[in-house]
Amino acid sequence: MTKRALDSGEMEVSADEEVKRRKAEECTAFVNLEEDMLFEVLKHADARTLARAACVNKLWRRTAEDELLWEVICTRHCATVGCGSQQLRSVVLALGGFRRLHALCLWPLLKKARWGKDEISLSLSLLSIRYYEKMNFNSRGPR
Amino acid sequence: MKRDHRLLPYQDTCGGGGGGSGSSSGGSSSGSGSGSGGGYSMAGNGKAKMWEETEQGAGVDEFLAVLGYKVKSSDMAEVAQKIEQLAEAMGNVQEDGLSLLASETVHYNPSDLSSWLESMITELNPLPGFDSSSTFPLQPQPIVEDAFLAPEESSTVTSLENHQQQNQYKQAQIFEDSSDYDLTAIPGNAVYPQIQSQPPAPPNKRLRPSSASSSSTTKSSVPVGIWGLPNESTRSIESTRPVILVDSQENGIRLVHALMACAEAVQQDNLKVAEVLVKQIGFLAVSQAGAMRKVATYFAEALARRIYRLYPQNPQDSTFSDLLQMHFYETCPYLKFAHFTANQAILEAFAEKKHVHVIDFSMKQGMQWPALMQALALRPGGPPTFRLTGIGPPSHDNTDHLQEVGWKLAQLAETIHVKFEYRGFVANSLADLNASMLDLREGEAVAVNSVFELHQLLARPGAIEKVLSAVKDMKPEILTVVEQEANHNEPVFLDRFTESLHYYSTLFDSLEGCGGSSSPVANQDKIMSEVYLGKQICNVVACEGPDRVERHETLSQWRTRFGSAGFEPVHLGSNAFKQASTTSLFVEYFSGVKLKIING
Repeated sequence: MTKRALDSGEMEVSADEEVKRRKAEECTAFVNLEEDMLFEVLKHADARTLARAACVNKLWRRTAEDELLWEVICTRHCATVGCGSQQLRSVVLALGGFRRLHALCLWPLLKKARWGKDEISLSLSLLSIRYYEKMNFNSRGPR
Repeated sequence: MKRDHRLLPYQDTCGGGGGGSGSSSGGSSSGSGSGSGGGYSMAGNGKAKMWEETEQGAGVDEFLAVLGYKVKSSDMAEVAQKIEQLAEAMGNVQEDGLSLLASETVHYNPSDLSSWLESMITELNPLPGFDSSSTFPLQPQPIVEDAFLAPEESSTVTSLENHQQQNQYKQAQIFEDSSDYDLTAIPGNAVYPQIQSQPPAPPNKRLRPSSASSSSTTKSSVPVGIWGLPNESTRSIESTRPVILVDSQENGIRLVHALMACAEAVQQDNLKVAEVLVKQIGFLAVSQAGAMRKVATYFAEALARRIYRLYPQNPQDSTFSDLLQMHFYETCPYLKFAHFTANQAILEAFAEKKHVHVIDFSMKQGMQWPALMQALALRPGGPPTFRLTGIGPPSHDNTDHLQEVGWKLAQLAETIHVKFEYRGFVANSLADLNASMLDLREGEAVAVNSVFELHQLLARPGAIEKVLSAVKDMKPEILTVVEQEANHNEPVFLDRFTESLHYYSTLFDSLEGCGGSSSPVANQDKIMSEVYLGKQICNVVACEGPDRVERHETLSQWRTRFGSAGFEPVHLGSNAFKQASTTSLFVEYFSGVKLKIING
């Protein structure tokens, strides 16, 4: 789904009011999917696709940055670190979220290694350290 | 070496301008006869005591006269310099050059050492403008040039006499430092490498100047370094010496040799020689690049401190050293890896426990604990209650550093829903602790953690034993210790020096690789990490006794120590092992450093 196609789609819409409305109703372009449908589709996307999807338009971005989708990505290939998913979710969301976990910690690691429980737990450690350091920075006085 | 005092007045009159080598100022106070012109390095002849009268001629140096060489005392420095140059030239010259020397060269009477050297040098390296006794900064001397195109005894002697006075004066300018040692360094090429501005075309070459000298014009275009000792005047340094250029690889080898030689001299308490060498090291260090330069500079500084007895005062303020360690933590993966491994071991020891208590001897910024808390939070079955007792030195500003760290950790714990309790404990030394102070409760599993703290206890006898017995009283499930794997606590200084040189060179090399991104933050981290390591170097080399706290020991030494204190080694479980190998992957990725797991 390229941007150019999108633009031309938008240009069509702005041309004529009536024609626009009718055309919009008939339009089955992928980009105009409803949010829920989009969500369902993106559930099956891999990390790269998901990240790219966030660059399409505002709706797509909102959807693609949903933590649930990234949670799926992070936990898809293997069992989690042993705890329940709710437990994992609460911790990870508190420490910055799955998207951040993936972008900052998992993605660089996975370039060199395969998915595994240990890669995830290592990434979680790194995420927590990062969170802690950010705390340091924020609450540090004039030093 | 002691010379008979009777000789002193005699030499003073004959030395002429020779007194200008700076030693005449305060040197005679040391009583070992500094009056003869021009310091010369190791003239430690036992013959000094035996020889009581000078031989023929005014001002001939009597030591060399014993050996059959006639050298004017006033020329001593120059002669030494020429010897060095000759040695260099011979080193640089190609194979056939030396045989040519044997067959074609006219040799002069070697007992007139000065001119003989002159002739030898010009045989090997006939570059006009090459002025071995030049005293004027960058202007070629027309008089002298001719002399060297066709070596003749008379002209060389003439030039020598002409420049002799100025030479002495120049030397006086340089060596102003008021050290007690009457030994003054002879500026040889090693010390004052100079950049030859115009490489002249040598006519009548019997020998090609070796490729080393021509290529090194480009290579060693490194400016002469200014090394930070007081009273060194660098402007005059640049003007004194002409060039036989040496390429930087040779300089690197020289640097290492100089470092070792200096350490040996210090070991033998031969401080005069050591002082000379340490200055050399300073200059050689600057000719290197990258890690070697930094390491050499730090070691040179540490040696200088030891020689001049300017011991670094151990700062009472720990916040700066904490800050340095933070930067080191950020730059290098070593500390992170150590934390991960320790955490893994603690986690395994805490399996199934409902209440856990960690006692941290090295609280600092508490960087180890967020990861542990997160891992506890994600434990199947939920997190235990987590108590942390952080132990640290007293802070000297009014902030309660330990409490601040505890507060941050508490906030983090709340975020991830771990029940957390913290207590900060201030102690001047770990040896002051005992188990009863720590409010240990029933039913909790205890772990004791120490990162880079235990080696400092070795500075005082009995301290480590006391601490280990206190730890045993705490009845921990596990004691995790992170220490440098190095042998920097040998009783003999030279051994310590050699070991630490090797160790820190490796570490600095890896630091070079670690500085991945070129962001200003990463750069600052890297620089501060170097400072952090530099302080350790200074402590290992320059300090002694209770001040020398960086007493690193090897794994096997620590093992023995723990074993005799009643601790049993715990092997990394397979989980920990796996995580370690994952971490090592991580580490490799981020910094190109390869990790090896030794002894499980």
